Amino acid sequence: MAKKPRVSVNFFAPATDGMKAETSVAKTIMVLWFLLSYGIPTFIWIAGLSDPNGLGESFLTDARFLGFPLHYWLLAQGYTLGYLILCKLYCVLWDFKVTPLRKS
Amino acid sequence: MNRCFVIVMSSIILLALSSTLVFGAAGEEIYQVKQGFKLVPAIIMVALLCIYIGVGFLSKVSNTSGYWVAGQGVGKIGNGAAIASDWMSAASFMGVAGLLYLKGWFGLGYIIGWTGGYVLLLCLIAAQIRRFGKYTIPEFLGDRYNSHAVRLIAASVTVIIAITYSTAQFKGIGLICGWIFGMDYTSSVFFAAGVVCTYMLISGMSGVTRNQQIQYVVLISAFLIPLWVLLRKAGGTGILPQLEYGNIISNLMEGQTATGQLDPEATKSLREAYLPWGRGDFYHFIALVFTLMVGTAGLPHIMIRFYTVKNEDVARRSVLWGLFFIGLLYWSSPVYAAMGQFWNPAGGKAVADVIILSAPERAGLGEAFIGYLASGALAAGLSTVAGLLIAGASAIAHDWYATVYRPGCPDRHALLVGRVFTAILCGVVVLFALNPPALIAQIVAMAFAIAGNTIFPAVVLGIWYSRSNKYGALAGMIFGLGMTLLAMFGWMAKIPMFGDQGILPATSSALIVCPLAFLINILVSNAMDARLDDESAERGDNILRKLHNLPDHIEENGNQKKNAFSH
Repeated sequence: MAKKPRVSVNFFAPATDGMKAETSVAKTIMVLWFLLSYGIPTFIWIAGLSDPNGLGESFLTDARFLGFPLHYWLLAQGYTLGYLILCKLYCVLWDFKVTPLRKS
Repeated sequence: MNRCFVIVMSSIILLALSSTLVFGAAGEEIYQVKQGFKLVPAIIMVALLCIYIGVGFLSKVSNTSGYWVAGQGVGKIGNGAAIASDWMSAASFMGVAGLLYLKGWFGLGYIIGWTGGYVLLLCLIAAQIRRFGKYTIPEFLGDRYNSHAVRLIAASVTVIIAITYSTAQFKGIGLICGWIFGMDYTSSVFFAAGVVCTYMLISGMSGVTRNQQIQYVVLISAFLIPLWVLLRKAGGTGILPQLEYGNIISNLMEGQTATGQLDPEATKSLREAYLPWGRGDFYHFIALVFTLMVGTAGLPHIMIRFYTVKNEDVARRSVLWGLFFIGLLYWSSPVYAAMGQFWNPAGGKAVADVIILSAPERAGLGEAFIGYLASGALAAGLSTVAGLLIAGASAIAHDWYATVYRPGCPDRHALLVGRVFTAILCGVVVLFALNPPALIAQIVAMAFAIAGNTIFPAVVLGIWYSRSNKYGALAGMIFGLGMTLLAMFGWMAKIPMFGDQGILPATSSALIVCPLAFLINILVSNAMDARLDDESAERGDNILRKLHNLPDHIEENGNQKKNAFSH
């Protein structure tokens, strides 16, 4: 039996149209995911660098949203909403980009 | 291979035994809540358990396919509820509230990690793993890398995760049983084990899946209803507790509690807890969040849920629904923690894991409400333990016994082995649970570290990197497992480096270890590429064709699949 060529699968170098569509959806969502997950704590950290006690007190901890300290609300509730939106967006993008390819 | 597995299992059991000797008295939390037998909660709990076991009876299964993955016919909302029910364990129910109570703002890292991980799971794993469509994660890894060694390590990791995770659940279940029946912690752990084993052995997973939807409804209502009453007692209007406790948090930062204004010292401590870095620094926060995320995406008993759905569209949408159902709970856990601070600001570590019982007790909520809440927590623990022990037992029965040790054995043998090992695992977990090494949520976080450092890199590279091969996977998984276990034992031995303020905390080791495990897998795979045998290369490629809908995929039974995008 002749040796088949090896399959090439690489998240960063997708070989087929189907994979390109799938990875582009995944990459978009993961970039947003990364910014959300690590951007906000970094922002809270940078904002709080001026606190002489090192506890991270800043305008984010002084501000109030729905009665919550803002830095608390963002993590306790904002994130859950954000991730739900990302998951929804993933499904929508997938239907938009990947599903048509499959039907053709 | 057989001997290797026996060695792994016996060392796990020895470890469990030794840990029992090392640690002293456990379950002191029980003395923080009201003592004695409580009739109303007991009736509620027994009624709930009867429903569970009753449903189990009605859906008895007799073939192995039903036992492992409950057929492949669960819809998106149903599967979402099953994911959430599997997920919502004693850790989410009791542990998160406890950690938030103890660590304030820092504890929110648990909520982010445990929700954000689903996005990763969705982007990198869910749809592809559904296309693979077989039973277990060790099976996926073993087939993809064409290696029994990879399969056995993955199976062992599944078992270790199941044991670690279940230990935390048993602590929760034990504390609840202790509260309801007025038992001491040790007897209530044994009592809980009896309930879990009976339930598991009778029903199998078909029962478990159906139950999990019922259980979700029961436990989310149990978690939410007491909140309304609780918030009313704290001075809110009690319309939407999750949006109303903001003022209470803001007031807590000023030292105002149910017992009046705290003294300056206590006020300062409470304020620190709610400021960003009062209970842990930036590095530890990020490390924790990262670990919990990769762990979530790498947990075998969550991934196995994607085999049980009709198709990959349902697999994707059930992540969304699962996250929605989980979000409802995580919007509410911090309310319990805040209520705990409000009524019992000085409780400290001893009360943390029972704060969802202690806060309502102090607020005078009434035993019926607390009993329902407690039964919900019990249900959460039970359904998770069921899922975990199934995943653990199936790793042994399916991946070791029926594939490596006795290929081609009859179904009923594998089923029997599965049931026997369910009972054995339960026993090992009880041993660990008698002397739990940390808070519930922390023990669970360690299980996540194992999943994130071993399974996650191997699965992601297995799906998305065709050059990854068995040598790389083995090196990466052994490194990941070794480092995580080292951190865990370091934590238990109280070595500062592995403690919760150290460089490599057992609960948050993945920020360092997981990227290294990826790197090792990639480097070793490339270095050994030339030495990979043709069969492994061909089998791995064949699975990749299936995962990515590539042409020329050959089914193992010989049917060639021509069309790239057909199902």
